[in-house]
Amino acid sequence: MKQAHCIYQNDDHRWLAIARDASKPGYLIDTNEYLVMDGEQALLCDPGGIEIFPAVFSALSAECDPTKLAGIFASHQDPDIISSLALWLEFKPDLKCYTSWLWQSFLPHFGGSESTFVPIPDPGMTIRLGSLELQAIPAHYLHSSGNHHLYDPKAKILFSGDVGAALLPPDQGGLYVEDFSRHIRHAEGFHKRWMGSDRAKRDWCERVSRLEIDMMVPQHGAIYQGPDVQRFINWFAALEVGVLRG
Amino acid sequence: MNAPEKLKKPPRSASELTCIVRVNEEIKSIVATAFRINLMALNAIFLAKRAGNAALGFGVLSNELRRFAQDLTHHMASLRDMTSGSVGSVTGVVQQQRNSAILLQAIRLSGDGVPGVREARKRGAQRLAEQHGRLRALDLRLRAAVEETQQLVELGGVLARSAKIEAAYGGGFSPALMQVSTDFAEVIAQIKRSLEVLGKERLVKD
Ligand SMILES: [Fe+2]
Ligand SMILES: [Fe+2]
Repeated sequence: MKQAHCIYQNDDHRWLAIARDASKPGYLIDTNEYLVMDGEQALLCDPGGIEIFPAVFSALSAECDPTKLAGIFASHQDPDIISSLALWLEFKPDLKCYTSWLWQSFLPHFGGSESTFVPIPDPGMTIRLGSLELQAIPAHYLHSSGNHHLYDPKAKILFSGDVGAALLPPDQGGLYVEDFSRHIRHAEGFHKRWMGSDRAKRDWCERVSRLEIDMMVPQHGAIYQGPDVQRFINWFAALEVGVLRG
Repeated sequence: MNAPEKLKKPPRSASELTCIVRVNEEIKSIVATAFRINLMALNAIFLAKRAGNAALGFGVLSNELRRFAQDLTHHMASLRDMTSGSVGSVTGVVQQQRNSAILLQAIRLSGDGVPGVREARKRGAQRLAEQHGRLRALDLRLRAAVEETQQLVELGGVLARSAKIEAAYGGGFSPALMQVSTDFAEVIAQIKRSLEVLGKERLVKD
């Protein structure tokens, strides 16, 4: 059963990671959902697929009042990211969904109407949540052609979507990366195959290197902390991507 | 928990969607039969012309049967329009039921007292009731239209019987005319059966 873990707290500014669903059927990829809260408002990053909605909803409700949910941030259009949209709207019809302008007319196939979507332009934008100014950071072609990450400059947390994802074996179920070189083996195949553009990758590495990041939180796998963040960026910068095999 | 197992059970509306498919298939078969009557009537008109004075009455009836086939085709076209619209309504119900079921499951997992869930369930139930209401109205219209078509087909039956009587006066053409009018009667009986099936279908189960 999924559980919400508090990974950052400063007064009523909080980040929750909803991770590790042992009861989920094996044919579904495991995902992490993140909730950013500031005071009376909350934003859910990559809320996940239809099948896991009950687990995510109950984990979230255990830690916060779900009526405080003001918006959803969808890093891109994949089903494991946002196919649960209609269900969140079923619960709260006035939710806003922030996503790349590229997917603005595609995501309504999962649910929502014209007023649901707030298109994020290619260079990114500021998303206000309570007193926070969250930054949608461009991550196009990593892997989706319209893709953003979310940076919280106050908490120094970067939500990195599929970048940093690792498909971990069941015996490595920890929430945080403990041994980088052991961990990264489970990320290599995924990044080589899923990340399609070397140029986009280099751009992203440069862009996020300029940010102050204490924690990089991906949509699959474990959370990178402290020096592991830069370790990941360096590793990714050197990795050959867009390869079918090897 | 075994959430996906529970969700695999087809919602009630899945059978409503199946029902619409059956209705459409029945309509298609009636349309095909109406087309056959049209051709049969054309042949009968030619036959009656060849038989000349001996088959004047039969010729008139053949013309009437041809008109009947055309009316029937129109009736079926409007029935088809109705059901094609209903696919949208049924799909709406299916989606709403699925969403409500998953939300209910989420609420159960979360335990009572989670803020906002009562309102969400109420909204869902309301939307479902509206969609069901639309389907019910459509169902009534469909049934009324089927009844109207049944009356038309009664008239077709009378025409076919009269054609049989006229065939008896067809002189040398009598066996051929008799054969044609028997075919008419059979085809109309077939349409009657299809309409009976159609009349029993319900888009909404109460
Ligand atoms: Fe993805
Ligand atoms: Fe993903």
